[in-house]
Amino acid sequence: MPIIEVNHVSKEYRLGTLTGLKDSAKNMVRRLRGQPLIKRIPFKALDDMDFRIDKGEVVGIIGNNGAGKSTLLKLLANVTTPTNGTIAVDGKVAPLIEVGAGLIPDLTGRENIFLNATILGISRADIARKFDAIVSFSELENFIDTPIKRYSSGMKIRLAFAIATSVDAEILIIDEVLAVGDLAFQRKCFERMESLIKNSGNTVLIVSHNIRQIERMCSRVLLLDQGKVIADGLPLEVADLFYRRSNEKISADHKKTLQDKVHKYSSGEIELLAVELINKQDQITDSLASGGTLRVRVKFKVNQVLQRPEIVVGTHTTDFFYLSASSTALLEDRPDLDVGIHEVEYIVPSFPLVAGTYCVRFAIFDQHQRKVFTGETLKIFTVLPTSQEILDAPMRRLYLPTQWRLDGVPHNSPMTAPAKIVNS
Amino acid sequence: MLKIARNLYEYRELVTELTRKDITVRYKQAYLGIAWAVLRPLALMLIFTLVKSFVGIESGDIPYPILTFAALMPWVFFQDATTEGIESVVKNSALVRKIYFPREIFPLTAVTTKLVEFGISAFILAALMVWYQMAPTVHILWVPLIILYTLLVSMTIALIGAAINVSYRDVGAALPIMLSLLMYASPVIYPLQLVKDKLLTQQAAGEWSDLLYTIYTLNPLAGIIDSFQNVVLRGQLPDFSSMLPGMVLTVILLPLSYRFFKSEEAYFADVI
Repeated sequence: MPIIEVNHVSKEYRLGTLTGLKDSAKNMVRRLRGQPLIKRIPFKALDDMDFRIDKGEVVGIIGNNGAGKSTLLKLLANVTTPTNGTIAVDGKVAPLIEVGAGLIPDLTGRENIFLNATILGISRADIARKFDAIVSFSELENFIDTPIKRYSSGMKIRLAFAIATSVDAEILIIDEVLAVGDLAFQRKCFERMESLIKNSGNTVLIVSHNIRQIERMCSRVLLLDQGKVIADGLPLEVADLFYRRSNEKISADHKKTLQDKVHKYSSGEIELLAVELINKQDQITDSLASGGTLRVRVKFKVNQVLQRPEIVVGTHTTDFFYLSASSTALLEDRPDLDVGIHEVEYIVPSFPLVAGTYCVRFAIFDQHQRKVFTGETLKIFTVLPTSQEILDAPMRRLYLPTQWRLDGVPHNSPMTAPAKIVNS
Repeated sequence: MLKIARNLYEYRELVTELTRKDITVRYKQAYLGIAWAVLRPLALMLIFTLVKSFVGIESGDIPYPILTFAALMPWVFFQDATTEGIESVVKNSALVRKIYFPREIFPLTAVTTKLVEFGISAFILAALMVWYQMAPTVHILWVPLIILYTLLVSMTIALIGAAINVSYRDVGAALPIMLSLLMYASPVIYPLQLVKDKLLTQQAAGEWSDLLYTIYTLNPLAGIIDSFQNVVLRGQLPDFSSMLPGMVLTVILLPLSYRFFKSEEAYFADVI
């Protein structure tokens, strides 16, 4: 018998503002003239969602902004009702949706504890019993009789969190409340949450953008996208899918803006036809894994014979920081280029950069170092992370094979595990 | 009906806490504090007394100031309770959007909060009675019932008004105008006896007189104010005939208003 049943639930909102007198009058005129009326477009925040949650499950809900996470929680907390479908919740729900709802600035900390706890459904006797624990958890012993409008924002959040997590309920709904306060308090919040989740045997729903947290705490994860559940399963698998989708989205966005940044110069002697990335299967691709093989193929047409030209292929970041470049100038036996179509490949057996978006540049000089062709951002490609790697990608730029020797015992760090290609 | 009552009983602590909050917040950073609650009826009493000295209103054997104060007490309670009740849901939009509990808690809390201020005015009335050397009679025990009835009348308007106010804030804007008009249609400045004499005794509007009087007393406040004066000042039973039309109206409208509120409740969080 599931404790939460969500049966084909949809929720629509109307876009735009509420109609006022002006719009009503306009519509009236349109009606008289037989013109179509101005209607507000409905927006589907949730679209035929259907799942069950059993007692004792700890379920994480992840998804991009606007995927419908908060709407779903609101429906579960009975704050609003579905447009279609039904929701059955069997038990008392404690909604920690945005802690701090209902804190009154003019009241003191003490008064707010009683008020807010009552709003959350804790009985007065229970509050009195838990009062000291709430105060000491929030570290506000000296300020408890000060109106909270004089509190710092961190103090307010600490108080709200302490009150909210003192609720006893069969079902806990938690929305992005974990990352509050300074680091020390965040740590404390985590511990409190984890003990709430693990010891009570409660059913818990957590919405968060901190996927690592979700992976650690939950036994099951739902991935939402545009109001639909697109994945439902074990945390690692669903999180992996989520990473992939986010990366695709990020690089797609990136590419759009980069298209405008192509810099090209040509003397007219050659014409660039294509710049492609080739994978192991000799197919054209857009991405490679960290540490994988980078193979760039450039096709161009020569209109005028070039004697012993120098060819340069390289990579740069999206903000034009040059990362690598190799030139054929070092090759003694480099050929002349006749009139016609030519194909050049530049292969880096192990491309040692961390996940991100990078670009290809290409240049040709004649034997007297005269510029024949130069171009930047000719091809945009993505280096994909391994699932461990994304966690702290900003902390470094290079992905280097590493070995450890701890007290003389060799260890393989996850970084040295073979990079898994997660995309075509 | 029983279910509603049980539901409300379950949330009694919440109502108490919210009421406490409303009162604390209102007077927290004010030097005069809760004394403000009684200043309005007092000021109005003084103004009316002043006006009365020019116009001449027959107040029977009861001094006019205390008579009009006894009228202002239920009136101000009703007016404030209704206004606050209608605004209550919108004012608490942060809660409406985040946490569920039966939404009628909001208007109910707003209305009960006004009971406290009514209670404080009662001390002023008591002081006035001492001043005019009027002793209360056993009939004063009717007061709680009369106030309960006033509370129900307030809730009737507040429930439907609060629900509409969520979508159309016009209600909140229109209500003060309507209520100040209603004050003149209620026996606040003048006693009900004056209307009774004109219509029932003198038949001033000819054959329409009785009908007009019934219409006048459809306003529940007519009966409420008169009865309040009766049981407190005159030491008489409430005048049930003048209360009946308003009561019938309330009994019909309150359930409708409540049902409307409950049917709209589900959409509050979406449109507020």
